[in-house]
Amino acid sequence: MSAVAQAPGAAVAPDERVGLDAVLAALNFMVLRRADDGTFLRLNTAPDWSGLLGPPDCSRGVGIALAGRSGFLDNFLVDALRLWLKGAPGRICSGVWLETDSHGSDWPLEAQAIVADGHQYLIIQHLSEEYAERVQVMQSARTHLLAEEALEREVMRRTAAVRQREEEIAIRLLAAAGMRDEETGGHVRRIGLFSAALGRALGWDPVRTTDIRVAAPMHDIGKIGIPDRILQKPGKLTPEEFRVMQQHTVIGANMLGDSTIPVLRMGGAIAHCHHEKWDGSGYPRGLRGEQIPIEARIVAIVDVYDAMINRRVYKEPIPEAEVLATMAEAAGKHFDPQLLDLFMQILPEIRSILASVAD
Amino acid sequence: MMQIKLCMVGAFAVGKSSLVRRYVQSAFSEKYHTTVGVKIDKKDVTVDGATTRMMLWDLAGEDAFCRLQTTYLRGSSGYILVADGTRAHTLDVALDLHGRIELELGRLPFVLVLNKEDLAAEWAISGERITALETRGIRILRSSAKNGDGVEAIFAHFARVPTEACAE
Repeated sequence: MSAVAQAPGAAVAPDERVGLDAVLAALNFMVLRRADDGTFLRLNTAPDWSGLLGPPDCSRGVGIALAGRSGFLDNFLVDALRLWLKGAPGRICSGVWLETDSHGSDWPLEAQAIVADGHQYLIIQHLSEEYAERVQVMQSARTHLLAEEALEREVMRRTAAVRQREEEIAIRLLAAAGMRDEETGGHVRRIGLFSAALGRALGWDPVRTTDIRVAAPMHDIGKIGIPDRILQKPGKLTPEEFRVMQQHTVIGANMLGDSTIPVLRMGGAIAHCHHEKWDGSGYPRGLRGEQIPIEARIVAIVDVYDAMINRRVYKEPIPEAEVLATMAEAAGKHFDPQLLDLFMQILPEIRSILASVAD
Repeated sequence: MMQIKLCMVGAFAVGKSSLVRRYVQSAFSEKYHTTVGVKIDKKDVTVDGATTRMMLWDLAGEDAFCRLQTTYLRGSSGYILVADGTRAHTLDVALDLHGRIELELGRLPFVLVLNKEDLAAEWAISGERITALETRGIRILRSSAKNGDGVEAIFAHFARVPTEACAE
């Protein structure tokens, strides 16, 4: 039986075999059938590149050993053998590889292992122009992706610069307010960092988390509008003075709330609502539950924690266990209970911030 | 002669082919040439009087169009995970590939290479991230295929200890 007669499909007449050979040559195929002894019989005329993978001078139908000639092909033959030994009709493809000849030229090849009509075939194709086209398409697509990435990095760089400016504006505003307020620089920084930690724990994206880190310290910015005789009064405030003091929330909201800069707008919402309470007993509007913006609910928690646990001119620090017990009692009254739960869960991070940012 | 197979793995355009080219041919091209498929280069290295033939499998970069076939790593003595230090997400791609390789082939020696060190001003991978990876036992090397810095060290590492694990 001739080699060609054993190829897939019906037996081929001699004149048709010549035609088939020409077609395979045009396609740059080398068609091999695996013999029982593991060698391969070439079923068509050897293409000029066949020497890359086997003896170039062997005749059609003569068994050739492929192992050890190409590292890539050896690796593919492991998978091919699995397919062939299964015996069920099927096909696997190696993917493209470049076989380098003795002159250093690369030959783009692709192999397919096939089981058909109970026979095992290995078809290797030299991809030539098709490979050049694939490279061109990939080169174009990846160059485009790289340009997009570069553009995205530039946008991020510029966005970061804008945010840095926004942050500086916020810090300078805070500095102006701080000149009249007793709160320490450490307190305002910690409020931002605690709030950002809670934001991250809530799964917020980095932009929103950064926003609250910058915005939370502005919660008391409205105190800039409170008269010194009240703001700096050493003793207890009268009811009328307390009513004036409460106005710092509204003043803060008026200062920041209508800003076109998102972080300042968030600062306005926090300033307005950080004295609201979950049960509706807070001020200035008596909002309750989720009517209170979540950013303000966060700041309400971290502001109380930081104020209680640290020394102030008017009080000694309170032990953490006592602080946490007091806060736990206020869950559902002063504080959003779920947020307080989350705060308790991230206490190790909170403690780490507390330890690293001193007054 | 001992022969070892090493695979270059990573996102596209991180410099895998450039590292091989720098190592094998001492050459570098500024222009980006994408790799399609697999290209195998070889280099004989003599360490302590013993010559080792390194078969360097340069695998096409991973992206939306092209997924790494882990079967290409079969029989390798290790792999070189390459990331571009100026494109932070390429480190994510490298670590994702590392996870897939471990899942499908088990543990193999590897090193993580942060390439393009010559572009220090554009560096986008934080020291904290690098330290965290090193804490996990990942061996990290820095290189520049452009000026050759650190390139020999990547491959010499495998030439010296071809059968030892480079990372736990």
